[in-house]
Amino acid sequence: MFTHYIDLAWRSFKRTPLVSILMVLAIAVGIGITMTSLSVYHMMSMDPIPSKSSKLFHVQLGTMDDGEEWWTEDSLPQQITYKDAMALYHANTPARKVASMRSGFTVHMNNDQIKPFLESTRVTGRDFFAMFELDFLYGATWTTQQEQSAAPVIVISEQLNDKLFGGENSIGKEIYLDDSSFQIVGVTKKWNIHTKYYDVTNGAFNDPENVFMPITQIAAMELPSWGNTNGWKFEEVNTYQQRLTSEVFWLQFWVELDSPQQETQYRDYLTNYLTEQGKLGRYTREEAFFGLRNVNEWLTYNKVVSEENKILVGLSFMFLIVCLANILGLLLGKFLRRAPEVGVRRALGASKGDIFKQHLVEVSMLGLMGGLLGIGIAQLGLWGVRQTHDYYSALATMDISMLFIAPFIAISACVLAGLYPAWLVCRTTPALYLKTQ
Amino acid sequence: MLSMKNITKVYQTEKVQTHALRDFNLEVNEGEFIAVTGPSGSGKTTFLNIAGMLENFTSGDFMLDDVNVGKLSDNQRADLRNQKIGFIFQGFNLIPDLDLYENVEVPLRYRGIKSAERKRRIEDCLEKVGLGSRAKHLPQQLSGGQQQRVAIARALAGDPRFLLADEPTGNLDSLMARQVMELLEEINKEGATIIMVTHDPELARRAPRNIQVVDGQLADFTLYQSRESGVLVPEHANEPADKSAKAEV
Amino acid sequence: MLEIKPIFNSLRRSKAGALMLLIQIAITTAIVSNAAFIIKDKVEYLQQETGYPEDEIFSFSVLTYGKDRDLNQMFEEDETMLRNIPGVIDASLFSTVPVSGSGSASSFQLDADPTDSKSTRAAYTMTDEHGLNALGVKVGEGRAFTAQDVVVTQESSELPTVVLATRSFITEMFPEGDGLGNIIYFGINPIKIVGVIEKMKGPWLKDSAVENLIIFPKMMANTYQRIVVRTRAQDRASVLGQIEDLMLAKYDKRVVVGLQGMDDAKDEQNAGDILMMRMLIVLIVVLVLVTALGIFGLTVFNINKRTKQIGTRRALGARKSAIVSYFLVENSLICVAGLVIGAAGAVALGQGLFEYYSLPALDYMYIVMTAVFVLFFSLLSVLMPANKAANISPSVATRSI
Repeated sequence: MFTHYIDLAWRSFKRTPLVSILMVLAIAVGIGITMTSLSVYHMMSMDPIPSKSSKLFHVQLGTMDDGEEWWTEDSLPQQITYKDAMALYHANTPARKVASMRSGFTVHMNNDQIKPFLESTRVTGRDFFAMFELDFLYGATWTTQQEQSAAPVIVISEQLNDKLFGGENSIGKEIYLDDSSFQIVGVTKKWNIHTKYYDVTNGAFNDPENVFMPITQIAAMELPSWGNTNGWKFEEVNTYQQRLTSEVFWLQFWVELDSPQQETQYRDYLTNYLTEQGKLGRYTREEAFFGLRNVNEWLTYNKVVSEENKILVGLSFMFLIVCLANILGLLLGKFLRRAPEVGVRRALGASKGDIFKQHLVEVSMLGLMGGLLGIGIAQLGLWGVRQTHDYYSALATMDISMLFIAPFIAISACVLAGLYPAWLVCRTTPALYLKTQ
Repeated sequence: MLSMKNITKVYQTEKVQTHALRDFNLEVNEGEFIAVTGPSGSGKTTFLNIAGMLENFTSGDFMLDDVNVGKLSDNQRADLRNQKIGFIFQGFNLIPDLDLYENVEVPLRYRGIKSAERKRRIEDCLEKVGLGSRAKHLPQQLSGGQQQRVAIARALAGDPRFLLADEPTGNLDSLMARQVMELLEEINKEGATIIMVTHDPELARRAPRNIQVVDGQLADFTLYQSRESGVLVPEHANEPADKSAKAEV
Repeated sequence: MLEIKPIFNSLRRSKAGALMLLIQIAITTAIVSNAAFIIKDKVEYLQQETGYPEDEIFSFSVLTYGKDRDLNQMFEEDETMLRNIPGVIDASLFSTVPVSGSGSASSFQLDADPTDSKSTRAAYTMTDEHGLNALGVKVGEGRAFTAQDVVVTQESSELPTVVLATRSFITEMFPEGDGLGNIIYFGINPIKIVGVIEKMKGPWLKDSAVENLIIFPKMMANTYQRIVVRTRAQDRASVLGQIEDLMLAKYDKRVVVGLQGMDDAKDEQNAGDILMMRMLIVLIVVLVLVTALGIFGLTVFNINKRTKQIGTRRALGARKSAIVSYFLVENSLICVAGLVIGAAGAVALGQGLFEYYSLPALDYMYIVMTAVFVLFFSLLSVLMPANKAANISPSVATRSI
């Protein structure tokens, strides 16, 4: 019976080609536009690391005087000072934690073959890779000993490894960063994230860094920050040493807390730490105040998905409603015009349910065709979005879930729109339409 | 009052020419009640359409109330139709989304009659056909006979010079058909000229004058009262008529 | 002649189709009003004057990793070399490049003691006496820098004693209008404002204090150094193409990156706004088209459904124009009802956008203009089918099915 209904539906389409095409187009355009904005929103707001996003926490410390404001919603600065970062890093809780910062170097091999180029560098703790699930192709992260002694070692990405060494195992080889030579101890696999959630301060959708360096190099090499540096009060910061001991914010800090108990313990730890620091006269505060946000909370807090994206998604859905109203009107016309035929079918033994099902199948087919065409239109729309800026290249795409949602929304929408006309047409008294007018 | 001379109507399709009316001649005087009969496809409906200016004719002269219809523009014909003619259709043709009051009102609005005057006329006409109390009902809520009566009220509301009725009882049972005929006769007595197309011979017999349309041309029968039976019979009933003039009833 | 009352009654009795059109018109009005307003807001923002001849200016960054040159001296020579390239009007080092999206900012104090002192936030940059010319701006009041003003050093603590400020900064800091010649404090360092520039935008176009800019006459060449070059507009592309080779030829232990025209930098910063604007334009166009097609389709359907009725009306004396006006009036009734609801929706939507998202409050003129536009478009969509309907012959009334 179902295939028969499909056959009927197809014939019905062919009988009124113009109206059918109009309806398919209406749904397709509605779906196309909705999926374009929805896909971008989806990619931007997606949990970047679903397996442990609730266990990774970003730390913010309230090390300013009471009454000082910041441009975040709770007036907590997004980064912390160097001395706080080091203190937290050297604490014995929790097991996994990193401070990090973005810097950069000129990469060269000290020969004429490769023209020197710039690479931004993530200067961080050795647990970074395990914490953020960045796997290794060759080698591993640097040892505790190497980190403590600020040894000139680095980890590079697969892309950089391909560029410099043709993809071979380059463990033990040396490259020059600025004028210092560093030894490669690890090569990471390509990192398939499209949101730089571990550092949203300089472009949440830029590519991750290709070079990783031990955090101790900051002090050892007096590295410049390629990120943001912000201060809340006047300090003489003219030498690098002054920078390291100042109240200026320029590092990020992440911890891994595996259970709610660990989280409570860490919160207590931070409270104690901040109270102590306040007593040392760094700042005057009534109460210790800090921020401990997991990955998704951190992304929301930083408004990574901009307001405008949300507005566009909302407007797109409203547009979809217009398309639906459009289709409902056309369906009403189309179905009611066929009432005489329905009257004949009923006279020949069709029940109301049969008629209802027949029309719902027709409407679903409409939705399916519209949904598939809509995917095509959405791809066009996403291509247009990608043209506006580089960082959309990973964001303006449809992943598998979006590809399935499109026809699902289309069919559901059409069924919704078709319910009333289908109900109307199966309700009519057959006798009424069997008479001539 | 209505005069058709040598009226011809030709339908031109791609390769075929159909003569629906051929050198059709007819004179109608005021106050007449004419039944138009003929086999299906004979051209009776075409004749009615042309008489009511619903269609153009290919050649000939058509004078309606001293107006040369052939020389009128589309708008002028519409106006003339509105003012002089009342239509009664086989399928009633009431507008389903309007109630009875609004249905009768339709031609009056086109004439530009003011609201108060319209109300008077509509209420009068609905009363006359016996449906004054149901003015707010919708056509679907009425029986066939009642719907036809509303259609008659609509036709009358404009005070037409004559009524054109196309199989007015075709969709009605015999009781209702009789009622509608009585209504038409009453209206005719009050002075309206009526041309009625029908294939019901009983109905045709009740009209004082019968004409027959066969193959696009007119065969006119004038009737007179038969002394014996009181039933109206065609003048030359006992003579074999033209083969082509044999009425099919 | 308008048959408003019977048309209205007839609509009431067969609501569904009309209701669908009404919904479409209402939502379209609500969305288009707000979208058009947002677009205008965006266009205004994107067209803002930065104060610079953007098509003449480009900037780039140099990362020097070689340690065997004195940076200040090297860049002095670089500046001279750049200024001598044919087509170049001027070139200069900058610590912060306007419109680039990155730079430095600070609060500047009225008093030496920061507690309880009035302070004003401004972006700041450090350049030499060629800096203004490299950006194509002139001092409006007071004087520009001379070579003597420029402090050449490698110490961050060494600062010049004079600065230039923008009009916006001075007005904010000295509302009584006596800013020129006054002293302000950068930390504990006093600096005197010797010149005022009428309009210059800082590095971040969305910053609340975007027009506040302070310029220090100081040369402290950095391993990560930015340079601004100004050329004649027609020469910019060719000069830009030569920069990397020329710079590396002079000293090759460095990397040249980020060669970009100021207008392109502006577009990059505004990429999100440009995208939003484009999507809104697409949305408006598609919305109006879909609604117009909906009206068209529904009217065609109605006409088909009512063929007999139309023939009957003609038979009863309706002129062709009466048939056309019937459909126009019917559509207008639905349209006006939809517009009224849509206008209310537009106001509500505008309120919501204003409160929950930091958009400016909707100017109600946009609702009015949208309503007129939608009405016009809807009547246009009805016109063609209505004209076809008028051609239905009155003889349709006498046909049996």
